[in-house]
Amino acid sequence: MFKLFKEIRETGDATVEYPFAPYEFPDGFRGKPEHNEKLCIACEACAIACPANAITMELSEDQSLITWNINYGRCIFCGRCQEVCPMFAIELTKEFELTVLNKADLGESCAYEVARCSCCGKPYAVKKEVDYVRNLLSKMGGPAATDIKKLDRCLDCRRLEDAEAFQLQARHRGEA
Amino acid sequence: MTAKKPVALRIGETHVQAVRDTFPGSVLDATWQAADQVTITVPTDMLPDVVEFLYYGRGGWLPNMVANDERPLHGCFALYYLLSMEESDKGFVVVRTEVDPATMEYPSVTPRVPACVWSEREAFDMFGLRAIGLPDERRLVLPDDWPDDLYPLRKDSMDYRHRPTPTTDVENYQFLYEGHAEETTQVPMGPLHITSDEPGHFRLFVDGEDIIDADYRLFYVHRGMEKVAEDRLSYDAVTFLADRICGICGNAHSVAYAESVEHAQGIEVPLRAQYIRSILLEVERLHSHLMNLGLVCHYCGFDTGFQHFFRVREKAMDLAVLLTGARKTYGLNLIGGVRRDILDDQKLATIKYVSELRNEVEALVDMLVSTANFESRTGGIGRLDPVIARDYSPVGPCVRGSGIGRDVRFDHPFDGYKFLVGMSARTHDGCDVQSRTLVRVEEFMDSLAMIEQWLDGAPQGPIQAEGWQYTPNKFALGYTEAPRGEDMHWAQVGDNQKCYRWRCKAATYSNWPVLRYMFRGNTIADAAIIVGSMDPCYSCTDRVTVVDVNKSTSTVLTKSQLESYCRRRTHSPLAGKGW
Repeated sequence: MFKLFKEIRETGDATVEYPFAPYEFPDGFRGKPEHNEKLCIACEACAIACPANAITMELSEDQSLITWNINYGRCIFCGRCQEVCPMFAIELTKEFELTVLNKADLGESCAYEVARCSCCGKPYAVKKEVDYVRNLLSKMGGPAATDIKKLDRCLDCRRLEDAEAFQLQARHRGEA
Repeated sequence: MTAKKPVALRIGETHVQAVRDTFPGSVLDATWQAADQVTITVPTDMLPDVVEFLYYGRGGWLPNMVANDERPLHGCFALYYLLSMEESDKGFVVVRTEVDPATMEYPSVTPRVPACVWSEREAFDMFGLRAIGLPDERRLVLPDDWPDDLYPLRKDSMDYRHRPTPTTDVENYQFLYEGHAEETTQVPMGPLHITSDEPGHFRLFVDGEDIIDADYRLFYVHRGMEKVAEDRLSYDAVTFLADRICGICGNAHSVAYAESVEHAQGIEVPLRAQYIRSILLEVERLHSHLMNLGLVCHYCGFDTGFQHFFRVREKAMDLAVLLTGARKTYGLNLIGGVRRDILDDQKLATIKYVSELRNEVEALVDMLVSTANFESRTGGIGRLDPVIARDYSPVGPCVRGSGIGRDVRFDHPFDGYKFLVGMSARTHDGCDVQSRTLVRVEEFMDSLAMIEQWLDGAPQGPIQAEGWQYTPNKFALGYTEAPRGEDMHWAQVGDNQKCYRWRCKAATYSNWPVLRYMFRGNTIADAAIIVGSMDPCYSCTDRVTVVDVNKSTSTVLTKSQLESYCRRRTHSPLAGKGW
């Protein structure tokens, strides 16, 4: 019995002051994911990886804008989005107080412009993503950048173009 | 002449041969899914014989039976009786049989091996497969108001979002009474008992204060996770869903699921990832066992001890945050490895936590054991007879407290457990609440030693396997020892990057069926501590309906009444109610 009293005395206060003092977590704590819309190129990697469907992508009706959405109510704070993001545009913070008074406040979204094919005019990819690739290729230079002009065309037009070029080449070979 | 080299026997080969010798012509097919797992296909009418032979004749235990709708694959339903062979030639033997979709019937194994009872009841709920001769044909999993002809896990039955219209407004579950007192009892349907965490409905059949029998209805919060996993998630996202099966031992489920897919696909998990998985499994055991020890204090009326165990437990939670980034739902498993490494400074911090935990818990346990109430409240209470245990295959500290050393970590070593030095399963043979508690105390100390061994021994290297090929329709078992006993997952992936069938068996699923035997012969005052000693996936029974078999009256006790009676043992809540 005395041991117990001694233990109680030695322990002192076991509780912390939270919420009247901040609660600290060690590094690597998985809290609210923070999206950096400037870095994001809307490539959709996070939306595909998200096991809980908290992150979704939605195309507007006229296909001119694509919207990146996150619903913190669905989020399970696994951090898969952070792992797969090629741009480091999403990061889990230490923030854990996500209570809101209005359900709609649990979401955040961000719209990105969709690029149209210079050939047929169909929307084919997110403009920011295309710009990012163009920038990357031009910096690399060399053989990687030879097709840089084709970037503003949709997949169908590029296929058609390749097929036509191939046909032409085959015809030349036949003549030779 | 070339002498034939003797071919080394594969694990499980002796069992398969024994079945062949005893029942000629019964083994239609035998295939190995992993080094220690063999599946034999037998004709449907031989099923009870073969399972009984492997169970009682060859030292098998039955964690679970998996039903599967394989009509899209070959036109039949299939049943897989999973047997864990623990005497000789340790490994897993799965007895598979096909069920004709025209009759939907198969001979029940339960009369021969009682451990099958819950699985066979569930197979009827989910697939409509009828076990002929099953003594207890009540529903198990589905609610009373579920339509009779809707079997959710059949491939052609329903979308996972479908919510059928309730068919009845009243509870019509029949509670079974197996006692011998002559008066029959009319049992009133009480309200559902939703506690803050998990609900369940207990019915104690009593004579005065003595419990003669007990029955219970669970699965009020059945979430249909298997259906969601099969329909909506891709197979590699299910590890995160498995993390959420349980708020206490989620990581054990996550690892078990990941390993079932890895075994099926033949993925070699890097050594370092195996060590990290084991460390996290033991970290989970630390906080779970501390919680149960705290609850034992609580039920013994030693609430100061309860508070102190929970204070110390907070250190185990901090350790989890440090290593995984979350207190619970670690979410660190992917198919093929883990997502986070343990860095050097984390390793040092972990070693510090471990030594603090060891000192503090040793002191607390000392106090608990020397408390006057502890001996009298736990010794000889809630006896789990080893004979009953042999019949029903319970798991974890529950069975180890009855002198049976079943522990997946040592019976079928996996991950880091393969490399442990000088450890073995802990047992006590008092068969009572006290033994189960002492098993937990010793396992807690073992867990600390294991974590230290692994932190020292973990080799450097990658933590994710890469470059493996996805093969559809392969299946295998994954298993871990969760704090409450073995978690057994059986997973088959389909040809669409999804689980074709995922069956997860939580530890307590194996333990519930023996609870009624643990209740018998005890008094109502002991009911709470008996349930608590099982460390079930919820330890508070919100309310208990008590039925006096001699007077045919019933009354409903609240959780707080029952708990306070459990602690003080005076002022029976039944007094003054005509009892």
